[in-house]
Order: sequence, then C-alpha cells, then structure tokens
Amino acid sequence: MERNDTYMPMETKVVKITDEAPGIKTFRLEFVRERDRKKFDFLPGQLAQFSLMGVGEAAFSMCSSPDKKYIEISVRNVGNVTSAMFGLVKGDTIGVRGPYGRGFPLSEIKGKNVVIVAGGIGFPPLASAMEYMTKNREDYGRIWLVYGVKEVDDLIYSKRMEKWADAGRVEIIQTVEKGCTAWDGCVGMVTQQVKKLKIKPEQTVGLSCGPPVMLKFVSHEMQALGIDADDIHLSMERMMQCGIGKCGHCNIGDKYVCRDGPVFTLYELRLMQEDVW
Amino acid sequence: MALGIKLENVTVGHATNITTKYTLVILGFMSASIYYKLGKKDLQRFLDVVASKMEVFVPVKSGEGFNFLKMEKGQEVDISGYVNTEFPAKGIFMPDGETLVSYGNKSICEVFDDTRRAIFGIRPCDMHAIMVLDKAMLGHGDVEGHYKERRDNTLIIALECSKAGENCFCESMETDELREGFDLLFTENGKEYHVEVGSDKGMELVKAARSFFKKSGKMSATAEVGCKKVIDTLELPAVMKKAASSKIWKDVAERCLSCASCTAACPTCFCFSLKHEPDISDLRKGVVKREMDYCMLLRFSRVAGNVVFRQHRAERLKQFFYHKLVYGLENDGKQHCVGCGRCITECMAKIDITEEVAKVREKYGKK
Ligand SMILES: Cc1cc2nc3c(=O)[nH]c(=O)nc-3n(C[C@H](O)[C@H](O)[C@H](O)COP(=O)(O)OP(=O)(O)OC[C@H]3O[C@@H](n4cnc5c(N)ncnc54)[C@H](O)[C@@H]3O)c2cc1C
Ligand code: SF4
Ligand code: SF4
Ligand code: FES
Repeated sequence: MERNDTYMPMETKVVKITDEAPGIKTFRLEFVRERDRKKFDFLPGQLAQFSLMGVGEAAFSMCSSPDKKYIEISVRNVGNVTSAMFGLVKGDTIGVRGPYGRGFPLSEIKGKNVVIVAGGIGFPPLASAMEYMTKNREDYGRIWLVYGVKEVDDLIYSKRMEKWADAGRVEIIQTVEKGCTAWDGCVGMVTQQVKKLKIKPEQTVGLSCGPPVMLKFVSHEMQALGIDADDIHLSMERMMQCGIGKCGHCNIGDKYVCRDGPVFTLYELRLMQEDVW
Repeated sequence: MALGIKLENVTVGHATNITTKYTLVILGFMSASIYYKLGKKDLQRFLDVVASKMEVFVPVKSGEGFNFLKMEKGQEVDISGYVNTEFPAKGIFMPDGETLVSYGNKSICEVFDDTRRAIFGIRPCDMHAIMVLDKAMLGHGDVEGHYKERRDNTLIIALECSKAGENCFCESMETDELREGFDLLFTENGKEYHVEVGSDKGMELVKAARSFFKKSGKMSATAEVGCKKVIDTLELPAVMKKAASSKIWKDVAERCLSCASCTAACPTCFCFSLKHEPDISDLRKGVVKREMDYCMLLRFSRVAGNVVFRQHRAERLKQFFYHKLVYGLENDGKQHCVGCGRCITECMAKIDITEEVAKVREKYGKK
C-alpha cells in the first residue's frame, strides 16, 4: 500500500544532544535507512514534522547545513511533544516526515547582500541559511546577521557564529532585551539594530524569522532601509498538523503556511486575506 | 465505442465578469450517456443486489432527521419524506477518529480502509461537496492517501431533488444541477426512477441487476426545486473582500457560541488534527488517528506560548464564511459552499450565512 502512504514517519536515531540554553536543546538525527536520507533533501527554511510515537508530532525547521549526512533541529521546550523530546537520550528514535513547504530563496538571491534578523527560537532556519551561504561564500555579497533574545542566557549557537564570521564579510550583531553586568554587547530590540545598518537597499534582501510581533516591526524597519517588499522574506509560524496542505490548521486566509510557505515575501503577506501578525 | 473528447466550458465568476477557460477533457472510452428506468418497487431489490457485493449506505430516518447508515441485511429502505441527511456523507470518506498509522514494538505501517461501499441517496449539492473534498484532499500536489483509498472504493448513487428543504439555497450556488461525479444518478419520475449512468463502475452495478432496468432515453429537464433562501453570487468574492474588516463579522460574533456545529455539519469542511493514542496496556504499541477539527474553535490556531492567531470569534466566523464563499472559488475554481443549508439548520444561535451575505451586499454594494 506504499503508494498512498501519507503520514508514515521515517526513522531517525538521536546521535547527539547539545544543551544550547535553558529550555533549548539541539538534536542531531541520523536516518536509519539510507534511502530515507537521500529522499530528505531540504532547503534552509523548509520544515518537517517530527514525531514521538505515542506522544505526537511537532513542526521544526532544520538548523543544520543542508549538505550534511545528518539533520539537526533546535527545540524549545514548550509543551507536550517538546518536553517528551527533552527526555530523550542518545540512541532514541524520532520519526520524521518531510521536508515540506517553501524555504528561503537562496539560489534566487545569489549575488545580493543579505540582512538576516533572527529572534529567539526563530534562529534555526536562518542558521541553516547561514551555513549554506557561508559555505558558498563567493555567491553572496555582504551579510549582516542581527540576532536578538530576551536575556543573555538565552543566546544560542555562539560557536557557529564564530565560524560564520570567519567566512569573511559577515557582520554579526547580537542584542539582548535585558542586559546584565557581564554583557558588553547591545541591549534592546533587534529593530533598533536593524535601523542602524548602512546598506545599499537595491542590492540587498532581508530574511527573518521570530515571533509575529517582531516580524511585523522587522519588516517595517527593512522597508524603512529601502528594501523592496518583494525582497523581504519572512518565515511564518502557524499551528501545524498534517504539513501537506490538508488539515487547514496553518491557514492564513486562503494560503497554507505548510505548503505555500512557511517563507513568504512581505509583498505576499500584504495580499493575504487575514491578519498576518 | 470511441475515445470521447469534450470541450468543456468552465465559467468562473458571473454574467458580467465572465472568465472562460476552455479545457480539453478526455472522457475515456465512453459513448454518449446511457439511460435506464428502474421501477420504484424494484429499488429495494436493486439495492439488495448491490449489498451482496459491497456495503451499502442509505438514508435512514432516526428521530427527526435522516442520516447515512449502513443498510443491514433484510432492512427495508424507506426514503419517504427524505430531503437530505442531517450530517453529510463526508463521514464515510473521512470518518472522525479513523486510524491512519499503527505501530508496535518493531513495526509501523499506515492502515487503509479498502472496503467496497456504495452510497445511495446523495443529493446533487452533496455530490458537488464531494467534488470539493476531492480537490482539497487529492489536489494541490499532495494526496491524502486515506481519503483516496475510501473514495476510490466508494460508488455514488446520487438522487435528484424534487423539493428544496427549509434552508436550501443550491439554486444560488448552481449546485442543484449535476452533470458529473456520480456513478449512477437517479431521478424520480412517477412510479419510476430515471437512471443516468455516469461511470463504468455505475454501469457494472446496472449489469449486476440488469433484469430490473429498462433502457431509456434522456429525460427532459426536471422541475425547479424551489429554494426559499438565496445568495446573490454575482461577483461575490470581490464584494466580500470589501467587507474583510467589516463590523458585520463582529456583530454576528456577538451571537455565535463558538460551538462548531456549523463546521461539523458542513459537507465541505475537512479540517482535522492528528492524535497519537498509545495502547495503555503496552505503551510500545499504539495508533495515530485523524480527528475532525473545526476552525470555529479557539484552540484551532493556538501555538506555543499560547499565541492564538484567531483569538476573536469574529475572525473565526470570517475564516469560515470566506473559505466557503471566496477562497474556494479563487483556489479551486469552485465555491466551497454548496448551499445545503446545514450550517443554518444546526446553528442554535440562528446564524444564517444567506442573511449575513445579504448584509454584506447591502452595505458594500453590487461590486
Ligand atoms: C514552520 C515552523 C517551524 C518551527 N521551527 C521551530 C524550531 O526550529 N524550534 C522550535 O523550538 N520550535 C519551532 N516551531 C514551533 C514548534 O512547532 C512548536 O513549539 C511545537 O509544535 C510545540 O509542540 P508541543 O507538542 O511541545 O506543544 P503543545 O503541547 O502543542 O503546546 C504548545 C503550546 O500551546 C499551548 N497550549 C496547548 N494546549 C493548551 C491548552 N489545552 N490550554 C492552554 N494552552 C495550551 C501552550 O501555550 C503550549 O506552550 C516551528 C513551528 C513552525 C510552524
Ligand atoms: S453553529 Fe452557529 S453558534 Fe455554533 S459556531 Fe457555528 S455560527 Fe457559531
Ligand atoms: S457553508 Fe453551510 S450551506 Fe454552505 S455547504 Fe457548508 S453547511 Fe452547506
Ligand atoms: S499543517 Fe495541515 S494544512 Fe498546513
């Protein structure tokens, strides 16, 4: 009956678990079957459904480089499935369906400068994009990465950021909403940092992912910098169940975030027939 | 027999704004339509023959209304007074709580229901609704395999209407007429049913009970069903769009109880959730089920951090109405509302989609 299989998860094993910050862990997963690994060819920004049998499924965007033999997801512990994942150890099984949806247009934006704005647990898909762009460094112009969290302890991927910075022409700005004595970096919202960027808007595109309110204001700031609504690509979050455009949970108006997104241009979002933020 | 090719004229929109698409439809090996007559007294015997080959679902009166139930051995079908079922046939194609995946300690597989079924008594509006579900579940790139399995194995014996129900507005939605989708189409004509064959599978049913059927010609047009309710569909999406942030939705939301009865009863509402159910006696085993879910419920759009995208009832009502009257036409070229009136009948708050559209018309004009 393989032909009609719709919800069958592919089996992966947890091979590494990294504590990133309080309440955030990164899971490295390897496909048990080689054919599944080959089938799972994803683009940064796409999503997949991750399942623990008996508990449920949750949608995550891969945070690893798409060219790896493994996939990685960074998970914030917020509920049913995620808390069960936090109880996993090396060698445990996670089911995966996907990849689904439309990711960031990394081939289309070759030759451009890129402003990336990540907020909190919105970082993972952008981290995957950073991996891809720094590996293919000559394909892209200047890169700015603005990353904001609530508190210093929430910051993740510090090692990876050092590696990206080494690729050259990458400027990384980290900001925390609540500063502390040990922190000598920026304090405040990401938008305040985006505002200060000196960019050539006609040669620059914006990518962002984070909480809805942040996306709203980030898109305003990017526009204020002169970036076209068509060149601002935002990854949207909605409730997801099926991941394949059938269950209706992820609808924004007539669009399906799992299938038509999760990455939409600001231009597309403006045409949506329902409140977006 | 010849390979038929039909030039199909699909009209999207309405008289003054006609967008016409010409599509070449290959009809397969079919000659012109085939028609038969079946005496009403032979209906039961025909259905018994069908039931010897597959499960047969028929409208059965229970309490006030009819619903599709499996015909049991020896059961007499009685459709006197039948207008339409209380709940639509979508439950046969996507039953609430259907098991999709089953797993054990070492094994996991998807479970499909390939039981052969026939449904007798599907009304034209509901046949249109099934065609809407087909687009949603089988189209747009991905196929919902469980729906497909049941759909492929279910024959539809549709039944024309002679009289509209209290809340019907199929004439407005142009779903009172049926030209495709069915395997057999029955039309009452005095003491007989006029039968149109719509597919090879339908032809097989006739052949299996051939002695009851008499050859016939095309039937002359049937009388109008006479709907009391109407929706003016003239450029409706454009008019509705103007009302996107209208107070109308807030006003109606004041009365709405968020009970989701409308969406549960709607033949084209297909939203669902996936639910994991472990076996309590052995947690290594379990199933994943598909449960019908409803956009009218607050939790439907809730994500982590307790963010609810459609926090207000008005937003949820708007999503329902717009999905039915705007998005369907835009995405599938077919209105998702088929005018069956069930959402009106089921609503305890007496919210009526035709009245709300009339308000939109009044306030936001003809265009
Ligand atoms: C495209 C996409 C990409 C994503 N990428 C990531 C990622 O990379 N990393 C990541 O961590 N997350 C990501 N998410 C979010 C992730 O999918 C959710 O955090 C996850 O589904 C939560 O699953 P859960 O079962 O643990 O939570 P659930 O148990 O479903 O609960 C989620 C939240 O809903 C609320 N809730 C649920 N039930 C109730 C109730 N009965 N009453 C009140 N409140 C309730 C609670 O606030 C709870 O925190 C992504 C989401 C999308 C759509
Ligand atoms: S049936 Fe009526 S009260 Fe219930 S959710 Fe629908 S519109 Fe609201
Ligand atoms: S919206 Fe109401 S009238 Fe239209 S198809 Fe659904 S239940 Fe029937
Ligand atoms: S998650 Fe089911 S339709 Fe998008």
